[in-house]
Amino acid sequence: MGGPPPAARRGPMLQYALQRLLHTAVLLFVISVFVFALMKMAPGDPVTVMLGADFNPESYAKLRRELGLDRSVVVQYLIWVWRFVQGNWGTSYISGAAVTKLVLNDALPVTIYLSVWSLLFALVIAIPSGVLAALKRNTWVDYVGMGLAIFFNSFPSFYLGIVLIWIFGVSLGWFPTMGYIGPTEDLGGSLVHMILPAFTLGAWYAGLIARITRSSLVDVLNQPYIKVARAKGVEGRAVVYKHALRNVLIPVVTVVGLQLGGMLRGAVMTETVFALPGIGRLVTIAVLNREYHLVQATVMVIAIMFILINLLVDVLYRHLNPRVREA
Amino acid sequence: MGGRGENHIARLADAIGAELLTRRQLLAGAAGAAAVGLGGGRPARAQSVKRGGQLRIAWIDTVDTLDPHFTSSLGAIKIHDNIYNGILKVEYDGKRVSFVPDLMEKWDMPNPVTHLLTLRRGVKFHDGEECTAETVKWNQERLRDPNVKSPHGWKLADLDKVEVQDKYRLRITFKRPYQFLPVAWTGSTGRAGTIVSPKAVAKHGRAYGRNPVGTGPFRFAQWVENDRIVLERNPDYWERGTDGKPLPYLDRVTILLIRESSTAVGALMAGEIDGLNLIPFQFLPMMDKNPNVQVFGGVEGNYTFIGMNNRRPPFDDKALRQAVAFAVDRGPIIQQAYFGGAIPACSAISPPMSDFYNADQCSSRRAQHFDLDKAKALRAESKYKGDVDVEWMVVGQYTGSGGVGPRMAELVQPMLAKIGIKVRIQLYEQATWHKKRNTGDFQMYDEGWVADLDPDETIYPEWVTGKPWNFVGYSNKEFDRLVAEAQFEPNVAKRKALYDKADTLLAADAPCAFIGHFKVFKALSKKVHGFKYIPADSMRFHAVHL
Repeated sequence: MGGPPPAARRGPMLQYALQRLLHTAVLLFVISVFVFALMKMAPGDPVTVMLGADFNPESYAKLRRELGLDRSVVVQYLIWVWRFVQGNWGTSYISGAAVTKLVLNDALPVTIYLSVWSLLFALVIAIPSGVLAALKRNTWVDYVGMGLAIFFNSFPSFYLGIVLIWIFGVSLGWFPTMGYIGPTEDLGGSLVHMILPAFTLGAWYAGLIARITRSSLVDVLNQPYIKVARAKGVEGRAVVYKHALRNVLIPVVTVVGLQLGGMLRGAVMTETVFALPGIGRLVTIAVLNREYHLVQATVMVIAIMFILINLLVDVLYRHLNPRVREA
Repeated sequence: MGGRGENHIARLADAIGAELLTRRQLLAGAAGAAAVGLGGGRPARAQSVKRGGQLRIAWIDTVDTLDPHFTSSLGAIKIHDNIYNGILKVEYDGKRVSFVPDLMEKWDMPNPVTHLLTLRRGVKFHDGEECTAETVKWNQERLRDPNVKSPHGWKLADLDKVEVQDKYRLRITFKRPYQFLPVAWTGSTGRAGTIVSPKAVAKHGRAYGRNPVGTGPFRFAQWVENDRIVLERNPDYWERGTDGKPLPYLDRVTILLIRESSTAVGALMAGEIDGLNLIPFQFLPMMDKNPNVQVFGGVEGNYTFIGMNNRRPPFDDKALRQAVAFAVDRGPIIQQAYFGGAIPACSAISPPMSDFYNADQCSSRRAQHFDLDKAKALRAESKYKGDVDVEWMVVGQYTGSGGVGPRMAELVQPMLAKIGIKVRIQLYEQATWHKKRNTGDFQMYDEGWVADLDPDETIYPEWVTGKPWNFVGYSNKEFDRLVAEAQFEPNVAKRKALYDKADTLLAADAPCAFIGHFKVFKALSKKVHGFKYIPADSMRFHAVHL
């Protein structure tokens, strides 16, 4: 492989990293303004929720003042951002617990655990199915495989979750229907509890990946270099695994990366249906209760994760596709 | 005042004396009392109890705080009942709701405003402190202290002074005789009688609601936000089970905070959990049919209604409001929105308020009922001629407070169309709905007041001029006078007469259309024994065993 010498490469790489960092900072600033404004624009407020049936104008005004909600929006924003960057994310109005604890210690690990299992599950099912469908294209294997892929890709995840609960949880009794057990608490139990939610969240994803794998493999198998390899007498399977698959993975990685955000979106539904105490459920309840600090922090964490994932995808992409590296 | 005072004392003494006996019987029978069926409270034959084990129960309503003096959620009160004791507690014998001593052993009233309380001896908080007269005094003063800002402070607004006589005796004086006191002093919905640990409040400050310490059968062990609350057996609890040993029987109660009710129902059907603290009406037929599930429920102290904003057009017109009240056919609503789990309401007072409920309000047809011809006639009287367009704001979630989502609005919409009222149903999520309701920014909405055990609780803050929960802005001086008088009227018959008049007036003025008194259902697995249904949406696990 050619490529520039290491010393020469460091310059553009450093520049690239700095550029990315700057982009990230600007992006996070925009997101912070956006989410702050959005929460403020939403009708209803935490004070009304906190007071519930015990609402009266005096206690409303008093509590508003206590929470600092009577100050100007700009001041509230600046205070929040200043504290946020210092790691002081505030406390939940309802529970009084530190937002950092609720988001980072309690909810995020659950969502990551769910996402990892869903992704693994999706990849393990989808890539072989896609490969098989491509190799047996236009046979019943292809039709059934792709039919299922489209089915799972278009089935709403909350509904799939409820259907799975009733079939495999209630009627057959094979799997637990809800709840979360941490892997450090009881590994076996935690895996059993993850099966239905991971399937629910992963099914949509698996459908997507299977279709991409199939179409790009079909595409690659028609490339001249495969024909050359075949002409050289490389066996059928070896052609697929050694030569074609690496190239097939490029679009797959791209899609996986781009759609990981979609996984977080799906997690909101999946976590609600399976009563998993993850970030999706946390943010849903926080929005309903107008827990400003909690929603803002959660969205920021999701945004940061999104950016990190994109960075990771870029790196992987460069690794898989040398042409990008050279460019 | 003398004669009236004597009546009051006689009534309390009578009630308490009778209930002490009932309570003993209950304690003896509670553990063995088998499942009480739908709508019932039949204590069944005693059976052997099993000690130990964990109860896993899904909680689908919100739990805000475990500090009873600050809660505004029934989901939380149902948990408080297991961690704390009250000065009094609510009991139910299948027919009558009554208020019986809990932390208190004896209650004397030398005159209508003076209460001499003797406390049960040797009751310990979960942190080892003893519950004494000083503790109760501190609790009463915490509630009414304006700096503490308890939303339940109003219940003790007429409290004059609390004096400690000795370690276990208190003298509590009110400014006037106070008829709501027995309810206010209960440990459950009353909240002003729930006794918390002063030491723990001092220790945890604002975080006390997440670190509660009571004297109840279970002590708080853990709260994982949005996931679970764990209670553990209090080994030093003072009540005894049928085997002569201290209650409770269970080692642990895990409360799973599941918001999605279909998930909770699925988990119960699959046998993963042992119960559900609330069943939305639509799941009722399924639960009833399941052989492994027992359903508890009955009509409770509640009423649902369609509120009309009296301050804004078009419902500033009484004739139009009355037309609505007569145009609504309660029958189909009860069948289709409540799946049969309610009875029609003609006014605000419901059957469990045993001394005050007046079935005659409905049967005599003197209060609100369905009569389309009358509705049409009233509609013609209205100052708003022709078709009227109104917005009805509904909240999508099952609220547990009689909220049946948009179903009721959809059923009522065509009924009102018949009298020329075109209803636009507007769905809001809860926070927005609350804000609009609380600020009076609506034309029409629906809701219910729940877990009320005395007419004062059910009528006064909701309908008296300018009171905090009078969201529709109803105002009638005569009504205000009647219910204010009833608050201090010791004679039950006279008090009932006052409420009857007020209730009739309210139904006639129609600030709202009364819809139903609904049943509140809970489900437990068949392997759970000893649960006793009380129509105050309570969930006590004192004598529950597996």
